[in-house]
Amino acid sequence: MNTRKPRFYPGRSPRIASTRRGFLQLSAAALSGAVLSNCARNLADVNSEEPAASSAASDGGTLHVYSWANYTDQELLDSFKAKTGVEVVVDTYDSNETMLAKMQAGGGSAYSIIFPSDYMVSEMIGLDMLTPLDKSRLVGLENLRSQWQDPVYDPGSAHSIAATWGTTGFIYNPANLGTTLTGWDYFWENGGSLDRKITLLNDVREVMGGVLHSLGYSYNSEDPAELEEAYNRLVELKPAIASFITNGWEDQVASGDLLVSMAYSVDAIALIEENPDLEYVIPETGSSLWTDTMVIPKSAPNLDAAYEWLNFLLVPENAASLVERLKFATPNKTAYEQLSAETKADTKLFPPQDLLDRCEGIAPVSEEATELYDQYWTQLTSS
Amino acid sequence: MSQTAMQNRPVAETNTRFDVELRKVFKVFNGETVVRGIDLNIRQGEFFSILGPSGCGKTTTLRLIAGFEEPSAGEVLIRGRSMSGVPAYRRPVNTVFQSYALFGHLSVWENIAFGLRIKRQSKAEIQKRVQESLRLVKMEQFARRYPAQLSGGQQQRVALARALVNQPTVVLLDEPLGALDLKLRKEMQVELSTLHKNLGVTFVMVTHDQEEALSLSDRIAVMHDGKLEQIGTPNQIYDYPQTPFVADFIGDTNLFKGRIETTDYGMWQVRTERGLRILVKPTESLNGSMPNQVVVSVRPEKIQLSLEKPSSPINCFEGRLMHTMYLGTHVHYLVELLSGDRLTVLQPNRAKLAAEPDSPLYIYWAETDCLALTA
Amino acid sequence: MSTSTPTPSVVPKAKVSPRWQQKLGHLVGPLVLLGPPGVWLLLLLVIPTLLIFQLSLIPGIRPGQPMDGFGFGNYLNILQPIYLQVIWRSVFFALGSTVLTLLLGFPVAYWIALMAPKRWQNLLLVGFVLPLWTSSLLRAYAWITILRPTGVLNSFLSTFGLPTLDLLNRSSAVFIGMSYSFLPYMVLVLYASLEKLDKRLLEAAADLGASAPQTFWKVTVPQTLPGIAAGCLLVFIAGLGDFVVPELLGGASSMTVSRLIYNQFLGATRNWGLGSGLSMVLILAVSIAIALLIKYGDRDPESFS
Repeated sequence: MNTRKPRFYPGRSPRIASTRRGFLQLSAAALSGAVLSNCARNLADVNSEEPAASSAASDGGTLHVYSWANYTDQELLDSFKAKTGVEVVVDTYDSNETMLAKMQAGGGSAYSIIFPSDYMVSEMIGLDMLTPLDKSRLVGLENLRSQWQDPVYDPGSAHSIAATWGTTGFIYNPANLGTTLTGWDYFWENGGSLDRKITLLNDVREVMGGVLHSLGYSYNSEDPAELEEAYNRLVELKPAIASFITNGWEDQVASGDLLVSMAYSVDAIALIEENPDLEYVIPETGSSLWTDTMVIPKSAPNLDAAYEWLNFLLVPENAASLVERLKFATPNKTAYEQLSAETKADTKLFPPQDLLDRCEGIAPVSEEATELYDQYWTQLTSS
Repeated sequence: MSQTAMQNRPVAETNTRFDVELRKVFKVFNGETVVRGIDLNIRQGEFFSILGPSGCGKTTTLRLIAGFEEPSAGEVLIRGRSMSGVPAYRRPVNTVFQSYALFGHLSVWENIAFGLRIKRQSKAEIQKRVQESLRLVKMEQFARRYPAQLSGGQQQRVALARALVNQPTVVLLDEPLGALDLKLRKEMQVELSTLHKNLGVTFVMVTHDQEEALSLSDRIAVMHDGKLEQIGTPNQIYDYPQTPFVADFIGDTNLFKGRIETTDYGMWQVRTERGLRILVKPTESLNGSMPNQVVVSVRPEKIQLSLEKPSSPINCFEGRLMHTMYLGTHVHYLVELLSGDRLTVLQPNRAKLAAEPDSPLYIYWAETDCLALTA
Repeated sequence: MSTSTPTPSVVPKAKVSPRWQQKLGHLVGPLVLLGPPGVWLLLLLVIPTLLIFQLSLIPGIRPGQPMDGFGFGNYLNILQPIYLQVIWRSVFFALGSTVLTLLLGFPVAYWIALMAPKRWQNLLLVGFVLPLWTSSLLRAYAWITILRPTGVLNSFLSTFGLPTLDLLNRSSAVFIGMSYSFLPYMVLVLYASLEKLDKRLLEAAADLGASAPQTFWKVTVPQTLPGIAAGCLLVFIAGLGDFVVPELLGGASSMTVSRLIYNQFLGATRNWGLGSGLSMVLILAVSIAIALLIKYGDRDPESFS
């Protein structure tokens, strides 16, 4: 499946991530072999799951990794084998929920390393599925930036090591839009001329949170008045919204059919690699921050190799060369410093610190607030 | 339709007005010529049958009149008007289909009213005429039924009523009784005949059943292989067939191929291929011309049987009895002549012939009881 | 039956046994034949449906919550204007697609069944059904490339100097996509019905003076009414449950019941209680439609009464 440039769609916010790829993965079952070129982009990853059991012999010389589609490449696997003698087999998944279901069903007992997103780490800890990390066997943890030494989703980093992170923003073609986009306000200022020309993520917390944040509130607000205000802003914006989609906007943004699409940074950066006319912008008021991690499941058959893998990727040189090749943001401070000037200067990958300071991670909210979020989201998308 | 008006119309044969005329009509399907140059004049008010074996083109001929097919060449006229380019729904004819083709989704009443509704007749008129037609075919009490709830004979009556209610110039009947059992067929034959007499409208019927054709028709056209063999009254067709095919197809007959040896006093002496000498009185149609090859036809019931040698030597041959079959009113004999010819003979079951199988006997017939036909 | 109840001693065991065995003997055949599909239906249809029904009676239950509480809150919830609007929109999409497929499908089926050369009929049908062999997802994506503002359709239109159309992400795209998806079903069902049509009835109508349009309306349509009903119900049911087309083509204002249900289980707003309630409503609606289909869909045109 990964003959073309691999892409991945990591999930971020709590309890809602399945919207992102759920639909595609569901309907992929019906997908025939022939793939139209124009939709290959959207479907590239849906068939990437291979039966783990087939490749999962738990001999000492093999490490089975279950990951998003482009966090590893052959060069990494080759150099890992050269150093440790361990053969790595990578299976990929396209949503946290898919991965969770497979692990819960026992179909993932061969895996010793998994890459869940932040909120999924919390959920798996709650389900007692993760091995507490033996910090004495890990080298270089101190190289991680401080906010990933003790993240909210996994206090004290007891079960997980941050592998990559990103933001949520807008992708657009400045030539088509005729101006430079700076944040959410543009949409309300120009709402009349945007008739079905923008898309927002199919993600209640990202969309509501983004608007809340643009209004000066928290991404994780539980204040009914604030939520209502954000909802009313979105209702006003509705005529401009073509659809609520997480993927599938790529061709239409490139062709100009869509003027702006709300996107995760990884998806946006991957498209800009192909189409340099496009730009990714993080709202100047800030966006959400998300993290994908590496964990060792309780069922891991090869603990030694798993620790060797974690240590290998904690080595700044290894992490840096991987980032140069695959273009994702590393939480490893030392690795960041070893990156080329060009990569370091890529504000899509590494936004300036003052902007990052205005970003906010999405955290679970109370049950009452969840119901409010859901109610507003249903009214917004169902009307 | 006004019954009295119909009855006043003369049905006599002398009427020279034609309701249907076919002029040199050909019909070709996929390179196969099904109808080969038919000329036909059907008189006003007559019951006309087209009779022939299956595949002879008779149904196609009917469909050409109805307008379901257009002739490949030639012309169809109805009441003197050319029907070229006139679609079926504009022709003043109505058809009773072979297996009725009643509309399953409509009641009997609605089936019959169909044509009147199409012609946008007034409600009162439709009511009156449908009722009249129902009475005509004795189906009043079944008006609310649906075709699937009717017996074959009842469906047949509805099909008739559905055609007649439109007061067509010509009623076309395609094997109308073919799907009925024997007893019902006989009943319906009588009713068809009565209907025709009462209404006086022209009936054109296609059938393969010679008895049906003979008993119902004013005139019959016998078709064979896409061509007309003979047109005539039932009597003419039966007693004076003009071709060996007609003679053979209508009733039973014994045929002898031969050539004319001598002509004497208006009689022909025919010598058959097996050497029999048969004396034949030529029919009017053959007067004047004297064909070389002829076929002599003798009906089985015209042949006499005798154990003694009869006094008259004309058309008398010796043979032996091969087989006897009792038919109730008649007895059917199979006789082999010394020449080797086999004949069927039909005698009334009156004086039983005291003949054993294989016993020698004589057969004979009068020279006026056989026909010479051009081969 | 309680095990403590003593067996009535008046019934001698020896006499019961053969009769019992006899009865069992009669049952063996049907049991062997119906057993496996019965188990299959029980496990994969009946039990899941009952589970959904049970969930629907727990108001507002969300993933991870204990299954307690009982009430019709979920069903009352569905009566909110916003959900009624979604249900009405689903029915509107399904009805519209049904009408469109009927209008488009009837001439096609009529032509194949009654006018096309016999030997071409099967080929034509196969050709028409061919799109069914591709994924519905793939077909929906194909429609995106056709309908989007700079898509195939508009390139074509502007080449000929015609005004372009803005069809994607609105109801029109849903109608186009759904009619396209379900047209083969409609054509197949109508073809089966038209092919059975007694051609002599058409001649009989012409014979009675009906022109071609009159014959069509007075004979062909009534005679194929069961097929038309079957085709319409089939498309309507499929349209009511369709997920892919409204999801991909309909845009931001095309929420349907099936999408809403999906959202309650796997999507943005996970609420199993509401989702189950909506599912039961959809199951009920589809069941009624299928009951109608069975009652009126497969009737012999000769058996009207």
